[in-house]
Amino acid sequence: MSISSAETAGKAIVPIGGQAKKKQGWNRFKQYYLGPIIAFLLFMTLWEIVPTMFGLKHFIFPKPSDVYKAAIDDWSILSAAIQITVVESLIGFAVSAVVGILLSVLLASSKIMERSIYPYAIILQTIPVVAVAPIVVIWFGAGYKSIVVISFLIGFFPVISNTLMGLNSVDKNMDELFTLYNASKWKKMLKLRIPAAMPYIMAGLKISCTLSIVGAIVGEYVAGIGGGKGGLGYAITVAAIQVKTPFLFACGIAAAILGIGFYLIVGTFAKWALGSWHESAMKVER
Amino acid sequence: MAGTAEKRLVAFDHVSKMFSTGTLALSDIHFTIQEGEFVSFLGPSGCGKSTALRMVAGLAEPTTGLVTVNGKTPKQLVRESNDIAFVFQDANLLPWRTVLDNVVLPMELRGGSRKEHKETALHALEMVGLKDHMKAHPRQLSGGMKMRVSIARALAAKPKLLLMDEPFAALDEITRQSLQMELLDIWQKEKMTVLFVTHNVYEAVFLSSKIVVMSARPGRVSSINDVDLPYPRELGMRTTPKFSEYVDLASGHLEHGADRRGLG
Repeated sequence: MSISSAETAGKAIVPIGGQAKKKQGWNRFKQYYLGPIIAFLLFMTLWEIVPTMFGLKHFIFPKPSDVYKAAIDDWSILSAAIQITVVESLIGFAVSAVVGILLSVLLASSKIMERSIYPYAIILQTIPVVAVAPIVVIWFGAGYKSIVVISFLIGFFPVISNTLMGLNSVDKNMDELFTLYNASKWKKMLKLRIPAAMPYIMAGLKISCTLSIVGAIVGEYVAGIGGGKGGLGYAITVAAIQVKTPFLFACGIAAAILGIGFYLIVGTFAKWALGSWHESAMKVER
Repeated sequence: MAGTAEKRLVAFDHVSKMFSTGTLALSDIHFTIQEGEFVSFLGPSGCGKSTALRMVAGLAEPTTGLVTVNGKTPKQLVRESNDIAFVFQDANLLPWRTVLDNVVLPMELRGGSRKEHKETALHALEMVGLKDHMKAHPRQLSGGMKMRVSIARALAAKPKLLLMDEPFAALDEITRQSLQMELLDIWQKEKMTVLFVTHNVYEAVFLSSKIVVMSARPGRVSSINDVDLPYPRELGMRTTPKFSEYVDLASGHLEHGADRRGLG
């Protein structure tokens, strides 16, 4: 839909010329961006004013300026924590993606396998990861190994459930077409089922990438270690104990920005990987 | 075997099909199709015409009886060669492949040289007039163009037997007419056998050298009519008395089948 509207807009612009284009840009800005920007500024102003009005201490409810100051003052700690969390969640995400996709392909290649094993993947998912985290720490020791495992446990399920759904979503006629041309099971998998599952796989990866950050931070709560080796989750626990509330806020905001950035990167990759066909394919699915 | 000029290509030998739900889809179908014929299966929905076609492709199995193509079971033939091609009602193109790569697919799945495949595919696309669109993706094409690609894909593998399951049913009348003409043209050039499923009497008469009229519940053959209109056929033939005669004949058998169902 966005494409067609962009097309019609493009056609309208061409004969009118540059000035109209500028006006169109301003209209667009007004329609889509102005509202959120004003809302953001209003929110920040309110947040700045309210604690001052009620005389709240900065360790109870810090103002944005306090948070900003804390982030700048302890930038070395914050940036180190961000880097560690990024690496942990990247590894967790990569392992989720690879294991999730490979396992799905394996399960989807045999109905018996899928029926036998998939229920346990669901059960694994229903166990709250926070509940099994201490076991993970006992097995893998405190530190990044456990954190990566926890990040994987959280990020893995959306990949496998989406990929499996995609692999099984192949149109019956398409499947018969391949049968008619005597395609083997693996050729069908490679040339039909995996390409057809791509939109689903990408949707799974998009969910998984933000979850892997959640997983890393939860992992750091449970298994984080200090000495410059702790990530955002560890920094948050330490800040909470020391009642450095403004820094705690800074860590939380950093984690949010990390999640958004990660999502945008994976989203861009998904758009690229699906290339020119994904839009039409998505329309077929609806 | 007897050395006759006309060779038997497809044989239905007392074929019945019972679905797992217990409905009798086809009841004692028994006839043969000669090489080079253009045969339409004409009947109301639910008469099992599609099921009969799918049996010829090996996509469905008869409950009793036997379907053979060239003396072999369809499954065997599909394993060995690309002699049987199928065109579905939906163009059924892979959205992530270009037009050319879609047409290459059947040959690619059999293995062999990519360059040769490409040449054959281009030739097939030329036949349906879509050579200029070889780099387009299916979503960029209209419904008629998609169906043309689908036909090109079927033709590229040089089939002896082309099976078509209501291929033009979803198209508008003008596109349908031009595709019908093109199909007849290709059929005569390539000298293959076509089995064509349709519920459109005019379409059946216009295209076919033989019409198998079927009735529903249970699906059975109510009559087999030869259409003695000369090829190449022209759109003008549709208004000739002889054309109307054949339409009347086929419609009569359709109605007769429906009457019998009403009484039963």
